[in-house]
Amino acid sequence: MAHVTIKGLHKHFGAVHVVKGIDLAIADGEFTVLVGPSGCGKSTLLRTVAGLEQASEGTIEIGGKVVNDIRPRDRDVAMVFQDYALYPHMTVAQNIGFGLRARNFPKPEIETRVKRAAKMLNIDQLLDRLPRQLSGGQRQRVAIGRAIVRNPQIFLFDEPLSNLDAQLRDEMRSEIKRLHQELGATMIYVTHDQIEAMTLADRIVLMNAGQIEQSGTPLELYERPRTRFVAGFLGSPKINFIKARLENAGIVFADGQALGLPAADAQRYAAHAGKPVIFGIRPQHIDRAPMTGSPHIKSTVDLVQPTGARTYVTFAIGGEPVMAELDAHDAGKPGDEIAIALDLAHFLLIDPESGNVLGR
Amino acid sequence: MTKGLFTRANIARTLLLGFFLLFTFAPLYWMFITSIKPSDDYLAVPPVWFPAEPTMLHYTAALFAYRGLDGLINSVIISAAATLLSTVLGTLMAYSLARFNTGGQHLSFWVLSQRFLPPIAIVLPIFLIYRAVGLHDTHLGLIIAYTVFTLPVTVWMMFAYFRQMPKSLEEAALVDGCTRWQSLWRVAIPLAMPGIVAAAVFAFIACWTEFFFALILTSQTAFTLPTVFRAFLGFQGAQYGEASALAMVSLVPSIILGILAQRHLVRGLTLGAVRG
Amino acid sequence: MSAPATRFDTLSEWSDRHFKWLLVAPAVLLILALSVYPLLFSVWVLFVNYDFTVPGHGFVGLRNFTRVLADPVARWSLWVTVLLSTINVAIEFLLGLALALAMVKNFRGRGLIMSLLIIPLFISPVIVGQAWALLLQRPFGPTNYVLSQILGFEVTIGWLTQAPWNFIALVLADVWQWTPFMFVILLAGLTAIPPNLYEAAELDGVDGWRAFWWITLPQLGPMIMLAITFRILDAVRLFDTIFVMTGGGPGTNTYSSSFYLYTLGFTQFHLSEATAGAWMFLVITAILITFLVRRLLKAEPT
Repeated sequence: MAHVTIKGLHKHFGAVHVVKGIDLAIADGEFTVLVGPSGCGKSTLLRTVAGLEQASEGTIEIGGKVVNDIRPRDRDVAMVFQDYALYPHMTVAQNIGFGLRARNFPKPEIETRVKRAAKMLNIDQLLDRLPRQLSGGQRQRVAIGRAIVRNPQIFLFDEPLSNLDAQLRDEMRSEIKRLHQELGATMIYVTHDQIEAMTLADRIVLMNAGQIEQSGTPLELYERPRTRFVAGFLGSPKINFIKARLENAGIVFADGQALGLPAADAQRYAAHAGKPVIFGIRPQHIDRAPMTGSPHIKSTVDLVQPTGARTYVTFAIGGEPVMAELDAHDAGKPGDEIAIALDLAHFLLIDPESGNVLGR
Repeated sequence: MTKGLFTRANIARTLLLGFFLLFTFAPLYWMFITSIKPSDDYLAVPPVWFPAEPTMLHYTAALFAYRGLDGLINSVIISAAATLLSTVLGTLMAYSLARFNTGGQHLSFWVLSQRFLPPIAIVLPIFLIYRAVGLHDTHLGLIIAYTVFTLPVTVWMMFAYFRQMPKSLEEAALVDGCTRWQSLWRVAIPLAMPGIVAAAVFAFIACWTEFFFALILTSQTAFTLPTVFRAFLGFQGAQYGEASALAMVSLVPSIILGILAQRHLVRGLTLGAVRG
Repeated sequence: MSAPATRFDTLSEWSDRHFKWLLVAPAVLLILALSVYPLLFSVWVLFVNYDFTVPGHGFVGLRNFTRVLADPVARWSLWVTVLLSTINVAIEFLLGLALALAMVKNFRGRGLIMSLLIIPLFISPVIVGQAWALLLQRPFGPTNYVLSQILGFEVTIGWLTQAPWNFIALVLADVWQWTPFMFVILLAGLTAIPPNLYEAAELDGVDGWRAFWWITLPQLGPMIMLAITFRILDAVRLFDTIFVMTGGGPGTNTYSSSFYLYTLGFTQFHLSEATAGAWMFLVITAILITFLVRRLLKAEPT
């Protein structure tokens, strides 16, 4: 186990600049998830840590030692690949033991270690099978077994669950989380799936266009995003962004409806008064309000999508579609006039030009 | 349109295929018959379509009196050695080109262009150099020539093969603790085996059937099977049986190999440009 | 888990770092030695006297070129090469396309017929020439006899010795050997055309010949280019069957360029002249390659 320090890392593929200056310190035993849209450079960053790609600029340290010029085999890392990368010509036992054989471990030790790893992952009855005789979930377990058997300093996961169907994915996700708790090893995990990121991570590193957009605990990123991109990436259904103006009294939407801000907030945003802003609010923080009484916004239900306990309801505010997550019995039907209450304890104001969240 | 056995399209297809199969087998059949036909039947009118008393005489004559056996042995040695060399070197090079884009497009197209050089342009200077360094009419000389002559096809076939193999297996091996060489030897090569065998088969057939280089670069010692046919030219009429017998000996192994590797034929013929 | 470094480790690291070049080195060196070096060497041969009938290697300027250019046989052989390769490739293409169309749908015995049709590809051209010579040769071959029976009068064609029959004989042998080449590639192209294209076309009322012209041919286009390009580049080397069947004869009637250069170099031993001719032939081929391969890359089949 070891900590990882990345300083000023750049990676070019020919003329394409994929990783644009990453600084990142990962603590010993931490579960770090690199997340971001496809093409954001997260996989490249991971592969550079593994040594499968050469850094164009900057350094990577593992356990305090610069490893830029060290081959993958000497970095003492293990990696689980998206397509599992099981050796089709070897049995499960040979697959799991391959790394130990490549390092010339004595046979009996390989055997005990393989058995122990297989037992941990519940695949000890499959040891004599070939990869093609296994299901997707079993293959993934073998791939993980191949990583843990070597007891490496660092585990790297490159979108390991994206080839599995939804149910297996949930199951394997819990499995990986449990594994991290048992082994307490440093793990770096790449995914484009925000739910995986939220559920697994001690710390999320959200990447965009080759740079780190924000990093922190899952809740930090969810509740206090620094940019519009972060707010929009995490959370499901997606956060609503509504164009508006910030006036002294509060927020004014394009259709003229206004929302008074609490005095503390009004003061906080005073510097931006009179300017256009983007008002961000998550579907979970929108509710139906009684038609009279407390401050509310009026709209007409446009679309209703029941999911069971909760129902997603779409309507427009200031001409822009807004989704709310409502109680199933509260949803109404298309065409209904409704009054909407916005939970002003949980909203964001974003500068439309820079995309930065204001007041932070 | 009526569907059935006797649609116009079906009849046309049967006729075309029937005619073409006849066209394909007529020369082979006649050659086979000639190889077992007593010399007395050569000029009979009407022609003898199947000899009353088949004979193996031409085979023994071709193999021993005309040194066909020596040619056969030379062909086996030279084709096998050149195939081995070409497959090993070609596979290594192809791996480098496919995985590291070594030398960019220039290197791979340079290798490809070798395939299309007219042999006459190459063989003249090789002949002069071989005579000067003593490689003329040696097994080694022809082995080297055949290795170079088959390399472009091997490289391109294997290049295409490695390209369609996932890279992640070899990367997993690297992370698992292999050196580059170990990941090549323990993972990539075993997985590419079907392609390597196919490439080897086509290289072997190419060497086995090659005539032009052998004609110019060998004479009395390292001559291969196809060049033995020189002995039968010019003496009109006398050695039909021997020539046919030798031809049968030569074509049987390459046909068998070719049909066994049939699945890879399209890749072989198009240097991997088309997947069969 | 890392062990202390040994000398072996240093070597292994060095060879890993230069891995990609170490892999290509042997093949590249061999090609350099046996293809590039001889070509460079031959550049010297071009301008000197390298002739087994004349001693010494004196500088002769461009004489080797002018002699070949002035030789009517050289020009005739180039013409023969162009004529034969055009006719051969054209016939092989049409026949190969017809066969591919006949074989594209599955039917009983298709696998077996497939295996039988490709047999000529695995036979030495020398033997192909030999087989056709046996079949055609007068008076041994049965061809004239069969033709006499069919036509009802005595046929006495000298297939290997009389123009234009000797050309027809050479075309027969080449078509026999290489039609399967076209067939195999075009069949691969045909099977790769998605069937739903034809289904969609049928819904639009397009079938039969129009489907062939509007769907099959355009879809097959890149594959046709590829097959014809590869075939032409081989067809212009024509040598083996001529060597066996006609010996270039009668006289120099069926000399191809390769055959002409071979006799010039290896039966008359005018090696310098042959080299000069070979270089001119190389340049012509190189132009052809550049032209064809560039068009091929434009139509890149994937």
